[in-house]
Amino acid sequence: MPLVNIEKVVKRYPMGGKEFTALYDINLQFEKGEFTGVIGPSGSGKTTLLNIIGSLDVPTEGSATVLGKKIERLSHTEAALLRRGHMGFIFQTYNLLPVYTAFENVEFPLLIMKMPEKERRKKVMDALEWLGLLDRANSRPAQLSGGEAQRVAIARAIVKQPELVLADEPTANLDAENSYNIIERMVKLNRELKTTFIFATHDEKVIGYLRRKICLVDGRVKKDELIS
Amino acid sequence: MSMLKLAYRNIKGAGLRTWLNVAVLSLTYVLIIYHQGIFIGMLKQGSRAMIEDEIAGGQYWHKNYDPYDPLSYDESHGLIPEELDRLIKDKKATPVLVRQAAIYPEGRVQTVLLKGIDPGQSILSIPTGRLSAQEDILPVLIGKRMAKNASLNIGDYLTIRWRDVRGTFDAVEGKIAEIMDTKVPGIDKGNLWVPLKELEKMTGLNNEATIVVVASDVSGQKDLPDWKFKEQKFLLSDINQVVESKRAISSIMYAILLFLAMIAIFDTQVLSIFRRRKEIGTLIALGMTHLQVVALFTLEGAMHGILALGIAAIYGVPLIVSFARNGMRIPQATESYGFALQDRLFPSYSLGLVLGTIFLVMVTVTVVSFLPARRISKLKPTDALKGKFA
Repeated sequence: MPLVNIEKVVKRYPMGGKEFTALYDINLQFEKGEFTGVIGPSGSGKTTLLNIIGSLDVPTEGSATVLGKKIERLSHTEAALLRRGHMGFIFQTYNLLPVYTAFENVEFPLLIMKMPEKERRKKVMDALEWLGLLDRANSRPAQLSGGEAQRVAIARAIVKQPELVLADEPTANLDAENSYNIIERMVKLNRELKTTFIFATHDEKVIGYLRRKICLVDGRVKKDELIS
Repeated sequence: MSMLKLAYRNIKGAGLRTWLNVAVLSLTYVLIIYHQGIFIGMLKQGSRAMIEDEIAGGQYWHKNYDPYDPLSYDESHGLIPEELDRLIKDKKATPVLVRQAAIYPEGRVQTVLLKGIDPGQSILSIPTGRLSAQEDILPVLIGKRMAKNASLNIGDYLTIRWRDVRGTFDAVEGKIAEIMDTKVPGIDKGNLWVPLKELEKMTGLNNEATIVVVASDVSGQKDLPDWKFKEQKFLLSDINQVVESKRAISSIMYAILLFLAMIAIFDTQVLSIFRRRKEIGTLIALGMTHLQVVALFTLEGAMHGILALGIAAIYGVPLIVSFARNGMRIPQATESYGFALQDRLFPSYSLGLVLGTIFLVMVTVTVVSFLPARRISKLKPTDALKGKFA
């Protein structure tokens, strides 16, 4: 059974009194441990697809099954519990909580999971060590560089060791050096923890590391290829 | 714990806006408690003075007696019943005979109430002992307000005219034996206190009374034929109503203050939710439910109330303790309030008052914080992450 199963998914949005179709009849499966990129130009539907997989949105038609749960049938609370327990998110603009330190930002998903403090602390320190951020643990987001902030965001996404990490343009705001650094760390995480990564990206640097590439154009899958 | 921490940090991060809200709210706490304490103190002092000087443990009224109807006074007297007579002999009650009369201070006629009381009574704390002076002339006890109005001093003589039981006018000369410093206008303004036996002789109403005042330590009083028992609560209802009406007027002031604070918090919440849409989206993406995010924002608003409480405690507690200990001078003009007030008013601050005020402010702040925050429950996470408010 695939980790994610997308069947005949259509997504339409109301726009200026009409409807805009962001996704047309999408059929995709993602297996555990994949390192996959959904690539395509702006407006091609990458983020919409990621949002549906991440249970942040629901398909207008068709069905999206993630970790055995049909997204379109989940209530707000059930969707929140699915995200809380099994998913990590990485955003283009990092989306760190500005009033928390790096340590506290990474700790936050574990806090809402109500993990005991001792275990929580260990996991946070491990995640920060993995991302080379131990010396920045007490810094606030405003005191971090773009690369450091995105590493904190990655640490926050993987600290609970989720089955699935969804990354929306994770390198779009970073320079080349930081982008490679970030991608390599994600590749390492994918290999060592078997975490499934799905990216929405049009960054060539990321595309070079992908093991599966799904090309979306105007809301349709144009190409879905495995890269050896 | 994490939600509390996050809420605290968020409102701390809002800087000056938070502190302005907190300042207004803290002022609201202090002013509400301060003013309510004044009114409670006023009521307590006034009631105490009335109990000591006028009503003691309650009063038996003759069935015709109506203090608000001067025309009833002529008919409001009767023989003291045996049950009350026993209490009077045991010094557990004292009779008062009330008749209408007129005096002529400085050539002007002034209607007064002539009240006969036993000079040896100890139920009321008024200096009736001064009425036992062994002189041929009628000794008269008046209050300081009456003395001021009629320009009378101790030792002054005055002509008193009254009608006896047959309706015939008679007159006598009285001498001011004492001017009492009472805080109770009801026994002062327009009242002339004379020995009961003298008044009985003057009016031919032997062993009769209009009111019988019962000592505070006597309980279980019931109505008697022709005599109605009026409890302390009933006799204090006037002062209660006066204080309540003054309290209601002053409530308007702190209602306005509370309203201003609420508007400020409401605005802060609306602005905060608008500015932090992305953060809301992130919190939802990280696994918080909509309800938890609503709770977080409500908590942030409510935390203004908690911070304000801390600030109010810093400057309010010393201020209020100082007022409660030292009291405050009451201007002379307050005598026109029409109820007993001491020269110095001691506000009364109870734990119930403080907790009640905290409860009122906290509930109001929480509701006002919740109103804008509930919009989050309708917010689509994808819109929030894009910084949109659909």
